[in-house]
Amino acid sequence: MRKVMTGFLIYGLPIPLLLYSLTVGPSQGLVFADYWEWGREALSGNIHESSTKVYMLNNIIGNVRLPRVLLTFIIGAGLASSGGALQGIFRNPLVDPYVLGISSGSAFGAALAIAFPLLHINVMAFVLGVASVIMTYSFAFSNNKSSIVAVILSGMIVSGIFTASLTVVQYMSDPYKLQAIVQWTMGNLHHASWDKLNTAALPVGIGIVGMYLMRWRLNLLALGEQEAKAVGVNPTADKATLVALATLTTSTSVAAAGVISMYGLFIPHLTRMMVGPDNRKAMPANIFFGGSFLVIIDNFSRSLMDFEIPIGIFTMLLGAPFFLFLMKKNKINWV
Amino acid sequence: MTETAIEVENLSFGYGKTPILEQVQVAFPANRFSVLLGRNGSGKSTLFNIMAGLQKYRHGSVKLMGKERCKLSFSDCARVLGFLPQFHKSVFPFHVKDVVLTGRAAFSAFSPRKSDMEKVGQSLEELGISHLADRPYTELSGGEQQLVMIARVLVQDPKIILLDEPTNHLDVYYQTYVLEKLKKLTENDLTVIAIMHDPNMAFLYADHCYFMKDRTVVTPTTGFDFHASDFLEYVYDVRFTTVLVNNKLMVVPDRKTDNRIQVKP
Repeated sequence: MRKVMTGFLIYGLPIPLLLYSLTVGPSQGLVFADYWEWGREALSGNIHESSTKVYMLNNIIGNVRLPRVLLTFIIGAGLASSGGALQGIFRNPLVDPYVLGISSGSAFGAALAIAFPLLHINVMAFVLGVASVIMTYSFAFSNNKSSIVAVILSGMIVSGIFTASLTVVQYMSDPYKLQAIVQWTMGNLHHASWDKLNTAALPVGIGIVGMYLMRWRLNLLALGEQEAKAVGVNPTADKATLVALATLTTSTSVAAAGVISMYGLFIPHLTRMMVGPDNRKAMPANIFFGGSFLVIIDNFSRSLMDFEIPIGIFTMLLGAPFFLFLMKKNKINWV
Repeated sequence: MTETAIEVENLSFGYGKTPILEQVQVAFPANRFSVLLGRNGSGKSTLFNIMAGLQKYRHGSVKLMGKERCKLSFSDCARVLGFLPQFHKSVFPFHVKDVVLTGRAAFSAFSPRKSDMEKVGQSLEELGISHLADRPYTELSGGEQQLVMIARVLVQDPKIILLDEPTNHLDVYYQTYVLEKLKKLTENDLTVIAIMHDPNMAFLYADHCYFMKDRTVVTPTTGFDFHASDFLEYVYDVRFTTVLVNNKLMVVPDRKTDNRIQVKP
């Protein structure tokens, strides 16, 4: 019974949820009958001859909600699977996708692009996100070796440098730009568009598929470097591939939607509670449940109040208490 | 009569300018249970790491079944040799069967085959721990964890297994259990080489004992008999009294002062 429930939550939920999410939004006065009519007209292909109401609805659904829901889903899936992969690689359940400094690097890049219009925001965010990972790794390496603690420590310091730089940019910006920067760092799915979805889909897709293929190798890495070598596997190549995939996925999603903090930390814990620590099951669970859960959170964030709460903030407000409740209930105790 | 499983010649190794191994010369016979003994820091683990391929070497030669170690690829080596490192701790509560399954990673790239699962079942059975298959590894006792890690090495189907202190932290029951199993493995064409600290356990189970002293492998000049206490004193810097129990040599370290344990009335 439990198995069926978790199976449904992971694999059954996404499609109906995505369809339902198309009907969620701040547009007042739309009722079920309107959606029904839109569905019928859309299927028969003569939207253009329909009433203005249906035509408007078609515009809202096709150009506003659909790209947003899809973007939210792939970003949720990307952050959750990157988080799961990095927790396994670093053998540390406290790790999230931002551990290597991606989020603060990207935030600084975006802030720079907003304050001094040099380049496109997304490009700057992506470039600086990747740069911060390269910095983290190059500082952590000595004698061609890097311990897990050195990588995490170096990531925290690199994060600190970029956070400080971000503050400097904020301090120097005028109030209008400052508002834009602050909004960006809180996550901004409300700017979702087909454009954004098109740029994000390919890199995130590559990252997710890659991590999915490596899911069994991840079990081996999670047992430790010595243990991998002991059974005849050189873990360095596997590790480098997975870190590259997670970096690609995370920096793309940060570039597309801003910083959604903690999401990549707690979703892998939730899926581990559902299917256990074996990454052969946990990785697909991270992808599908991670996608669905962010869509759910986003649905709340755009329908609960008259104004929209930024997704990054709302993830913390909604997701974190939920996680704490489950943590207490399942008596999670890490040794 | 017996072939050689691992032959080490003139092996020298050091970290920076600190020498760890100097001119090591040793040959481990195939299909036997060999034990390597010696004081902490005498270079046992380093020698094992080099034989297992975890550490590169520049001076000297290490031959696995006649082939130079450093010329074998990781996965070629995995077909010949399995290694059990000294410390092991898992953070995630993987099931025992999933832990053991990772031992097949050198042969199945992205996902394990059905035959891999069967091998896991076989090796768990061989060690008598089939009942642990679905338990979380992190919840097992030290002895059970050690058996699981041995099973993980066995699913590789190696010809030689190297174990770094397999009986460490185990109670007497598990020490004898593990050693009996290891001894039994040599009957199925397997070469077992282990590092151990207890000379008596080594004498009880091993076919051959090797000793390390001052960064190299040393052998007693005379045969290994009642005069062994002199040799053991040289190795361990402790005086021993030797006795024969059921025709097996046993040693007891001598106490330096005779301060008996006082039991207060």
